[in-house]
Amino acid sequence: MATHRDAQFPSTPYIEPAPAPIGQPKVEEVGATSAPLKSAAFFIGQQCQEVNEDFMLCKNESRDPAHCLKEGRRVTRCAQDLIKKLGENCGKQWEEHWQCLEKNNQELYMCRKPERSLNQCVFEKLKLVKNIPGSPEGQPQIHEKKNPVWSGVQR
Amino acid sequence: MSGTIQFKQDLPPKGGYEPIRYKRNLPARGPGGLAVFGGILAICAYGFYKVGQGNLEQRELKRERAWSRIHLIPLLMAESDRDIYRREQAQLAREKELMKDVPGWEAGKSVYNNKRYNPQNFVVM
Repeated sequence: MATHRDAQFPSTPYIEPAPAPIGQPKVEEVGATSAPLKSAAFFIGQQCQEVNEDFMLCKNESRDPAHCLKEGRRVTRCAQDLIKKLGENCGKQWEEHWQCLEKNNQELYMCRKPERSLNQCVFEKLKLVKNIPGSPEGQPQIHEKKNPVWSGVQR
Repeated sequence: MSGTIQFKQDLPPKGGYEPIRYKRNLPARGPGGLAVFGGILAICAYGFYKVGQGNLEQRELKRERAWSRIHLIPLLMAESDRDIYRREQAQLAREKELMKDVPGWEAGKSVYNNKRYNPQNFVVM
């Protein structure tokens, strides 16, 4: 169940047994929890940039959920595709990184060591580079910094 | 009176007494005041420099965190939209079934007189 609206009356949970409306192509949910998604966020953002922007522009036209179903399916398929590729090519590094995130309150700065090996692997296999938009020009981005002030026990 | 009793006059030693050392006599130990002051100043300056660097870094960490969420929003929103759409369609069907005998009833009609989408405030269970 993926909805951001909680049931107002906890005594009757908001469960809708109806199946998906007919005429809509079936798309599975991504099924990944927050830490793997956070770990893969920048790669999803880069790989699926076009479909994501298309979807958000569509949502800008109308907030009606029925308005952007087609674009939404594209977004989900793209993300599923990337997650599959990531699991096949860099599964070990990815798992290591998101397990570290799970253990460190999902703080990215606590997990630079596994992140570096993940980024390296993803760059070699999938040709995707983590890039934070709006970072100051001419200096290493925060995840590439050699000796950061804010770091966990591990570097 | 004849001087018959032998006695010895108590007199200062030859050459007089040594001068009384009344002057303050503390050996100068450790670094001087200027050095201590300068040292503290240097330590503070280094600390504040690090604080500044850390603040700049925090800004970048915030930016990283924000973008890691921004990149995921389309994905999460798309999933949520499909679920909301499914629920809304089911509700609409239920409302149509319930109110089919009421003439002039438009199922799923917005309470507002505009075309903008409004999330539902109540659910027909």
